[in-house]
Amino acid sequence: MKKIIFPIAALLIISTSAFTIFKAQDWKIAENYSVKFTSSDPSGIFTGLKGTVSFDEKNLATSKFDVTVDAASINTGNGMQNTHAKSAQWFDVEKYPVIKFTSSAISKTATGYEAKGTLDIHGVQKEVTIPFNFQDNTFSGSFEVNRDDFNLNPSNGKAARVIKVDLVVPVTKP
Amino acid sequence: MFKKIFFWGLTAGILSAVASIIYKRIYEFAYEVTYAKIINIPVLIGANFIACLAAAIGFWACLRLFKTKGEIIFNLIFSIGSFASVMFPISAKLPLDVQFPEMFPLLTVPMHFFPVIAWFTIRPLFANKLFVPAD
Repeated sequence: MKKIIFPIAALLIISTSAFTIFKAQDWKIAENYSVKFTSSDPSGIFTGLKGTVSFDEKNLATSKFDVTVDAASINTGNGMQNTHAKSAQWFDVEKYPVIKFTSSAISKTATGYEAKGTLDIHGVQKEVTIPFNFQDNTFSGSFEVNRDDFNLNPSNGKAARVIKVDLVVPVTKP
Repeated sequence: MFKKIFFWGLTAGILSAVASIIYKRIYEFAYEVTYAKIINIPVLIGANFIACLAAAIGFWACLRLFKTKGEIIFNLIFSIGSFASVMFPISAKLPLDVQFPEMFPLLTVPMHFFPVIAWFTIRPLFANKLFVPAD
């Protein structure tokens, strides 16, 4: 038994170390990104996107997204609506200043890629899958968010419940 | 009679357009914001001329319809209309690349009162008994 402990340990160390050697390419988010949300009402953009993006098409196992969006950067085009969106009823930006997505696994699909991970909005964490593409150093993807899942003013029946989010994130090598 | 009312409207339009342009310049300088994509000098001139000439037509119509009470009724309509029109900039949805939409109504709401203020300011220059149409 003792004889195989060290070979197993060596294998473990080698395999773990491989992840550090074959680390995915880190990318820097370029300025001209776009985080749009659309529905019958409301629609708008977020402008405060930050975070770390590690992505390598040949090494998806070590690829990872850890990004945040400044919730207060919401812009619906209407000042009154923006103030309302930042209030305690909706994003409550004083208490929950950021919207966060942390990927746990990235895999290839028939049409592109998908990132599984945790989306944290308004203090509610939910597992989501975001399909995306990566072409010409630009990530693009769309997914839907049900505001009821994140306790975003569930009593409001006027605003759309399902909101489509469109992401276009150009990146550069740091 | 309409000629005199027309010049009243035209003069009020010039005054309110000038006031709007000056106010826009001061506001954008003081708060370091710009809404040039939505309101610029041609838009301000056009909007103020439309408001004041429409007021002139409305005033003339009120005098024709209501005779001696025409001016009172017109003044009420013009003032209430100006007040009600502030809902437009408050509820306006600006292009998403325009920053600080929260400050847009602070610029435009006062401007909605410039035509009515200009109209009333120059009233003594134009108003006299001639405005009561003869039967």
